[in-house]
Amino acid sequence: MKNSALSTSWRDGRQWRYGSAVMLGLSLVALSSGLARSADAYLPIVMPITGFLSVEGGSQRNGAVMALEHAPGGKTIDYPVFDTGTSATGAATALDKALSNGKPIAAAVSVFGTEMVAMMPVAAEYKVPLLTISGLAKITESDNPYIFRFLPNDREIKVAHARYVVEKLKKTKIALISDTTAYGQGGFALLKEDFTKLGVKPVYEDSSIAPDTKDMSPLLAKVKASGADAIVVHSVAAPMALIVKQAKAAGITLPIINSSSIVEPTATALFEPAELKDVCAETPSAPETRATPKIKEWADAYKTRFGLEPDGLALGQYDGVMMALTLIAKGAKTPEDLRAALQKETYEGVAMTYKSNGKGDLSHDAEIVCWDGTSRIPKVVEHYAGPDMVLK
Amino acid sequence: MITFLQLVINGLALGAAYALVALGFVFIVNATGAVNFAHGDLVMAGGYAAVGLGSLAQIPAVYFLPLVAVIMFVLGVALALLAYFPLINRPPSTVFISTLLCGIILQNAFVVLFGPQAHAAPPLLKSGVAHFGEIEISVQAIGTMVVAAILIASQYLLFTRTQIGRRLRATAEDRQMAQAVGIPAFALIAATFGLGTALAGIAGALLANQFFVYPTGGIPLSVYAYIAVVIGGWGSIAGAVIGAMIISLFQVVVSAYVSYAAATGLLYVTLLLIFVVRPQGIFGERVQRRA
Repeated sequence: MKNSALSTSWRDGRQWRYGSAVMLGLSLVALSSGLARSADAYLPIVMPITGFLSVEGGSQRNGAVMALEHAPGGKTIDYPVFDTGTSATGAATALDKALSNGKPIAAAVSVFGTEMVAMMPVAAEYKVPLLTISGLAKITESDNPYIFRFLPNDREIKVAHARYVVEKLKKTKIALISDTTAYGQGGFALLKEDFTKLGVKPVYEDSSIAPDTKDMSPLLAKVKASGADAIVVHSVAAPMALIVKQAKAAGITLPIINSSSIVEPTATALFEPAELKDVCAETPSAPETRATPKIKEWADAYKTRFGLEPDGLALGQYDGVMMALTLIAKGAKTPEDLRAALQKETYEGVAMTYKSNGKGDLSHDAEIVCWDGTSRIPKVVEHYAGPDMVLK
Repeated sequence: MITFLQLVINGLALGAAYALVALGFVFIVNATGAVNFAHGDLVMAGGYAAVGLGSLAQIPAVYFLPLVAVIMFVLGVALALLAYFPLINRPPSTVFISTLLCGIILQNAFVVLFGPQAHAAPPLLKSGVAHFGEIEISVQAIGTMVVAAILIASQYLLFTRTQIGRRLRATAEDRQMAQAVGIPAFALIAATFGLGTALAGIAGALLANQFFVYPTGGIPLSVYAYIAVVIGGWGSIAGAVIGAMIISLFQVVVSAYVSYAAATGLLYVTLLLIFVVRPQGIFGERVQRRA
């Protein structure tokens, strides 16, 4: 009996503790729901924060956060961050969770094309606009009205890449190199197509560079033997940095014209300035150059906020989210209002003017930047826009 | 011919670093019979230690390489305490999983401490290239080969010429019997984890200058180490070195004549052939059991 009483007392105590925990949990949920409700809009961030694209995902997250912290019209925005990892299933699951978690008006989503393809049906199901900077051409070519892209698609930006090599540098013996990622393979095919349209057949082609390749000397030996007069690389950051670094160490003086990964400050930090001489890259924008007062003001604010130099990904995502926030401030109240406004309005962003082509592509500008060997900050040497980025 | 020689030398330089990675791996295999699949991540930890010390001291890596080894030794002992000793009487696959999990924890720790981006450590002595006729070798590659040669020779002498080496081998062969004759098996196993990890750390510090260090960079290195040990013969020091050299020569020399993808395919075909023709590996003994 005594034991039973003790047991009952213990159970009561346990029940009391469980009850308290449940009450506390419910209070926290209510408080967080209250906070969510108190915001004017819910716009989740769903991006690769961890994994091999975390550098790119981190940049776009920062750009989105910076815009959301300065929403125009005094609006307050609830913007939880969801990590997609770097998998299609992770991305679709994360977006589903983000969109079912409240009443989203839009979502800022992944730079990774593979993840975008997986997230597109989720956006269509919830009927919520996705604001992205993914370059994969086909995401705006598949009749999904909820996709809005704030960086030029790869099909356009590769035209700028190829035209600069052929028309400005006057190079005709190209060594064309890419890695084996989907990004690398897609860019390789587009560049090859564009060079063909420009009347140039690469003298050397290699699209089999695995992202974990360490020694690039066999590749560089083959490039040398091919008699190439320029090296064109489309790759994620790590192999590209190794190609450039080891080419310079091997005394190869050919110009190397890269895709935008090398413009990221975290990539240029791997080089001594002299190693970047005669290295160029395409990029949607180059905020680190602080080429205009508007970009300088934004870049300085970004550096103050995050302690990092900005890059084109951060600026593209900032402009995209800020356009959506501006339209919300002007009266877009539902995802459908916002989708319609994104489709028809023109927005003057920090990097460029954004206007949809009817398919959700709002950005049609690209720049070529080059390093002169004295600094890690490149200079803009060529600007391409609109029809410049289409080859017949 | 000059190009071929140049590629062979580049391959040997990369192979020297891979050999250190494989040696650390085989060191732990020899002493414990355990496959440490956090080994590649420990290589990265050594690289990050070099990045951190280099940014603090702003001096060539040769001056702080011993400190990297000490830090990594401590980390190796900690790994043994965390992932090996609590599971010492469980099936080998349990240790395999526990080290794999420790590797994932390390990868996430790298992201938190250093960020997701790649970093470069300072050179061993200095940057630049040395010329031998028409052959060019980076000073870092020469340094890597010298350091690797010293450590490989030291490890060989340790195992074959010293009492502690004999005790380590006795412990690996039969821990209970070694304990029965008074050998402090647990202390030796902990020290082995420390030494193997120190070798991995030195390899990481050497690789991190030319090939960078990043959170997931250790994953392929664990695989290379495993393959090197399988090719060379399970538990064989000479075999691990030869296995590492075969991998690097495929990556550097063979890929100069076919594509990278084809060279990788040929490496694995060679591995399969070795399994068929000589399953115990080049230097392995037929009686040994593969984990």
